[in-house]
Amino acid sequence: MSLEAVVWLESVLAGAVQAGTVFLIASLGEIYAERSGVLNLGMEGMMIVGAAISFIVSNALGHGFAMMAVILIGLILGLGHAFLTVTLKLNQIVVGLALTILGLGLGGLLGNAEIRKRIILALNPGVEERNLIVQEASKLPDIHIPFLKDIPVLGSMFFQQNALVYLSLILTFVMWFILFRSSFGLALRSVGENPAMADAMGINVFRIRYIAMGICGMLGALAGSYLFIGYQPFWVEGMTAGRGFISLALVILATWNPLRAVLAAYLFGGVETLQFRLQLIGVAAQLPQFLLMLPYIVTIVTLTLLSLESVKKKIGVPASLGIPYSRE
Amino acid sequence: MLRTVWGIRVERRLDIPRRTSAAISGLLILLSFVVASAVFEILGVNSVRTLSTIVSVFLSPSSLLQAILRGMPIGLAALGLSIAFRMNFWNIGAEGQLYMGMFAATGMVLLHAYYGAIPEQLLFITMILASFISGGLYCTLPGFLKSKLGVNEILPTLMLNYVAILFVDFLVYGPWRDPKGFSFPLSIPFPDYARMDGFFGNSSYLGLMIAIIVAALVYGLMRWTTLGFELRLVGQNVDAAKYGGVNLLKTTLIGSFLAGGLAGIGGLIIVSGLIGRLRPRASPGYGYTAIIVAFLAGLNPWLIVPAAIFFGGLLVAGEAIQATLNLPVAAVQVFQAIIFLMIIVAEFFKRYRVTFKR
Repeated sequence: MSLEAVVWLESVLAGAVQAGTVFLIASLGEIYAERSGVLNLGMEGMMIVGAAISFIVSNALGHGFAMMAVILIGLILGLGHAFLTVTLKLNQIVVGLALTILGLGLGGLLGNAEIRKRIILALNPGVEERNLIVQEASKLPDIHIPFLKDIPVLGSMFFQQNALVYLSLILTFVMWFILFRSSFGLALRSVGENPAMADAMGINVFRIRYIAMGICGMLGALAGSYLFIGYQPFWVEGMTAGRGFISLALVILATWNPLRAVLAAYLFGGVETLQFRLQLIGVAAQLPQFLLMLPYIVTIVTLTLLSLESVKKKIGVPASLGIPYSRE
Repeated sequence: MLRTVWGIRVERRLDIPRRTSAAISGLLILLSFVVASAVFEILGVNSVRTLSTIVSVFLSPSSLLQAILRGMPIGLAALGLSIAFRMNFWNIGAEGQLYMGMFAATGMVLLHAYYGAIPEQLLFITMILASFISGGLYCTLPGFLKSKLGVNEILPTLMLNYVAILFVDFLVYGPWRDPKGFSFPLSIPFPDYARMDGFFGNSSYLGLMIAIIVAALVYGLMRWTTLGFELRLVGQNVDAAKYGGVNLLKTTLIGSFLAGGLAGIGGLIIVSGLIGRLRPRASPGYGYTAIIVAFLAGLNPWLIVPAAIFFGGLLVAGEAIQATLNLPVAAVQVFQAIIFLMIIVAEFFKRYRVTFKR
């Protein structure tokens, strides 16, 4: 391979990590929700609200406050979903879709120039004139890790990124550890597997599902926030463009395991990046659509494979996913 | 279930009178206007003007006709969903099935225009058939996966939406692009006899007619035929259906085919009635709105038609709001979502009686 090709490949791989982190953060949250037995179809809505809030708050008060506001809003959305599906036992599919439509609508309203300006002024009356009108925000700075950043390929993939990319990797390991090596994780998985049994053993099914949905909401909104201030800091209405739904697909591809989610997320991120890059160099002008279809088709194939009894036993699909629990 | 938390007592209703049920729905839909106004006011949007713009759409004949036309793709998709949901088939894929309908309808026009394969008089009827079959087959795939392999249909139907949207993108950016279209991603414009307004002067009439006929057919099918009975039985109790001798595979395939097919005809209305050609992203989420409509109507085919017109009107109002109040269409989306949430919450109050105790 020529040197140019190596450089190109390196940039595609680094791009795969940057694009994939959106999927990674969101799917980590979704894994917890689904492992506890709650299917969250509202991910797309949580994401776009997260993006819109971080757009507004980072222009008013900076990145730190934006992150806090996003996590708070995400928590509210997640707990709201839990209230409707866990306490009121309403259909998870319908509630999730409603949340997505609500999120897309709120995202559009919040991104509106007039409304945005008013909120920014309310948050910070002394803000610079420029911050009121820009369609963008300053991007999170990249943090270069000394020495490690010079490793070929891996250096640009993992050691020259912004704080949220590092956070997502740390979260992956922490969340994997909690899920599979702690008593809370065991409780969470057993609630998703057989809530009646878990209940009989003294586990509070409702509380676990609330916690899982709270985590899911926070991470969903944070994924949107990363999408905006960490990846593409230009506001476009509906900028999540189905990424929340892709994250749902990814959870299946990762078979509800945070560690496998990393690989799946970067794979999907890679497809997204490759599609842009191939178009840039004029290759495959007709192909991008088919390339973009891949994640969806792969998901359907994976789902089909997972339905086979032998595979199901080996991997452990949460058996009561999508079914509200009630003590009757 | 009987629980008392914070003085609120919740108990399961054994049965619910029709009147109470309708009253709960009505009350919560009214409440959605209140909640929507509150959300708008918090964001500094003039709620009175926004909501009055929405109401005014239904008061002028010309915008009402617009609302009807915009509502028909939603309505047809929702009629399909009413079959699917009744048999407990969670089809989230109406959006994709609409696109497959647009694809097939446009395909017929191109066959006619490029190769002269279909005579002029038969073109429109062929388009209806093709869009029905195309949307139907597209929904049969997840139906097959569900009934044959036990794959849950929610995610496959959802994923297939994106596949269909991208497929139509590919066609209009590629082989189906109008050679005289200055390289815009558009198909050739449809000839008059392939357009719905060629029939009664205004596409809305034909659209409404199709929707009412389909609603009658769906109502009759579900109510009076063996197939309809089997579809409902599968939805209510799969085991009972199996022991009762219902062929699960066959019933699911037919049910999903009908559901997708009706959405496919909805796709035909988009290209032939609303736009007059195929373009990318031609549906702004009609397939998702259809889910709200199906629920709002309680899966009743007759109620689906007016509910769809109401949501079509919301879309028309969205454009008016954008033009006159300088607000994004999203304002209407928020309103839609709030109505949707209220319908869902109404379900809870229909299932449980809530009383306050001191």
